Amino acid sequence: MNVTALSVGVLAGFNPLQPVAAVPLFKFYAGTWQIIVSNHMFMVTLATAILLIAISLGVRQNGNMVPRGLRNLIESVCVFLREEVARPILGSHTDQYIGFIWTVFFFILSLNLLGMVPTEKIVALITGKENHYGGPATANIWITGAMAFVVFLMFHVSGIREQGFWHYVVNLAPPVPWWISPLIYFLEVVSSLVRPFTLAVRLFVNILAAHMVLGVFLGLIVVFKSYGMTFVSVVFVVGLSCLELLVAFIQAYIFALLSTLYIGFSIEPQH
Amino acid sequence: MVGMANNVLAEAAPVGSWLAIVGATIGCSLIIIGAGMSIGFIGGKAVESIARQPEAGGRIFTTMIIAAALIEGITFFALLICFLTVFWLH
Repeated sequence: MNVTALSVGVLAGFNPLQPVAAVPLFKFYAGTWQIIVSNHMFMVTLATAILLIAISLGVRQNGNMVPRGLRNLIESVCVFLREEVARPILGSHTDQYIGFIWTVFFFILSLNLLGMVPTEKIVALITGKENHYGGPATANIWITGAMAFVVFLMFHVSGIREQGFWHYVVNLAPPVPWWISPLIYFLEVVSSLVRPFTLAVRLFVNILAAHMVLGVFLGLIVVFKSYGMTFVSVVFVVGLSCLELLVAFIQAYIFALLSTLYIGFSIEPQH
Repeated sequence: MVGMANNVLAEAAPVGSWLAIVGATIGCSLIIIGAGMSIGFIGGKAVESIARQPEAGGRIFTTMIIAAALIEGITFFALLICFLTVFWLH
């Protein structure tokens, strides 16, 4: 096998970001603004529709006190989040913020899991045309950035609502001697800006790296064009997909846990 | 503006010079050494503490998973910088 041709093919021909990048689907005009809808935005809409329909239909079961089926699944996840994650951190304020934490967890979990489903290939099998109707939505820094911005607003607003505006601003820093408190205050302000950024980047890079490795290993089948490589590649891709299902759950849990922690830090006065 | 950074990254070929690519690769291996050692340390300590007190196994396992995910988070920040060096250096 020609090594030069192989390396040129691998290095210059295949771009690992291509299976993961956002693809514009269609555009529409709102007044004079042009709004482009990409496949990631379509996946967000799909996840929202699935969550709204499935959860509201799943928790119905009028009259039964014993949950069964889908209601049992949703209730056990919600009870786990409330008792193990929210109540040790938030204490008596749990019921105020638990709706937000449940929303964050289920939204990110459904986006991650929908990213693992090859919806564009399924639609291509049915209709016979190539399309881009699917994609890992959390592998987009703008979507995870928007989630992190919402968490940022949430913990500042919750802190201001609990403690009053001036009390919250003054109590951002723990009590330290007067000669070091400007530096500590500056560090606290910077850390409250860096924390949502790390939330966004952690989720984004985890899902992006996983899908990139999947795309590279499936692209190696095209580059090598041999049956042995196909077998090795498919086995590795199956194993890695199982690992990524675990990573999807863990990253959603970490996002919910850290946003709970940040809300808990901002509710308690530091004195 | 939709996915602007992603589209720019996806359209650019690796145009960085060879020294940048070598630097990014060596940096990537250093990052992996750090991450592997940290997560291995966490895992070892978790196994030791479960051996000391088996009935606390569930909580220790949860704590280990949380710590491993946080360490992986910062690993991926640094890996992202290596990746940008290879693919976005004009």
